[in-house]
Amino acid sequence: MNFMRIFARNLMRGPSTVPFPFGPAWTPQRLRGRIQFKLASCTACRACEQVCAPGAIRFDKTPEGLRFMMWHNTCVFCGLCEFYCPTDAISQSDDWHLAHRVDKKFEMAIRETVPYTACTGCGMKTLASAPNPVGIVPPFTAEEIEQHRHLCPACRKKALTNRGATP
Amino acid sequence: MSLLHAIESQARRYAVRSPWIYRINAGSCNGCDVECATTALIPRYDVERLGCQYCGSPRHADIVLITGPLTARVKDDVLRVFAEVPDPKVTVAVGVCPISGGVFRESYAVHAPVDQYLPVDVNVPGCPPRPQAIIEGVAQAIEIWKERI
Repeated sequence: MNFMRIFARNLMRGPSTVPFPFGPAWTPQRLRGRIQFKLASCTACRACEQVCAPGAIRFDKTPEGLRFMMWHNTCVFCGLCEFYCPTDAISQSDDWHLAHRVDKKFEMAIRETVPYTACTGCGMKTLASAPNPVGIVPPFTAEEIEQHRHLCPACRKKALTNRGATP
Repeated sequence: MSLLHAIESQARRYAVRSPWIYRINAGSCNGCDVECATTALIPRYDVERLGCQYCGSPRHADIVLITGPLTARVKDDVLRVFAEVPDPKVTVAVGVCPISGGVFRESYAVHAPVDQYLPVDVNVPGCPPRPQAIIEGVAQAIEIWKERI
């Protein structure tokens, strides 16, 4: 009579099938899914390009600035880019809805450009990237980040020395 | 003649509701194959709710799932098996390997992407994709299948 017990249990619990695609699917909180990129926090250090095993992330120099390109169709969701990013500019969401028709193949990408700017200290052409926060005590405030964004690397060093922080 | 026509239209009506799936392993690491098997065999995911069934022969297939980066070793065999699938058919590339090559991209031993040899219709990226993502891809393939038949 064991089957009666199983039958009763199944009646009470209902089907174990996930209702997707006719209903919502449960997603684990820490699922490593689609890559997200926050241009404002990018320091243009290119660490993500260095560690990306399948070569999904690429940086190109363009006349406008440094272009960040990331193709979801090569990403293996290993999470190394998120791990090595000093400012959490690149992160993984729990979005796994990546299936698409083949004509959208090359639209499955992130294309953003870190623009060039003129250094407010010396006037040199430089990338308007966020400053690297590693080892900065006390940490940068929001205004300082905006100040450093418009400085060239040499002027950033000078500003850090004046600030009295350990570089 | 009209009887034949009636039978054909009736058969078409049923075929729309139950496309059969065939799985080709083009040199995959078996990760995506395990996920494909999961979608069919585990009641939690159960792709057969969509009317799909995995079949053992390419000649019975309507939807083809391709996994793997199309290694040089299996390329000719994959192309031969794919040619045996009768038209109209819908092709789904499962995993990043057939779409772009994934971690094997630009290797001398693989011929990825697959779509330079076969007409691919739906891409399901992931390494491997979740079973639900594969079901989502199969659902999109069924939409295309309804237009084709």
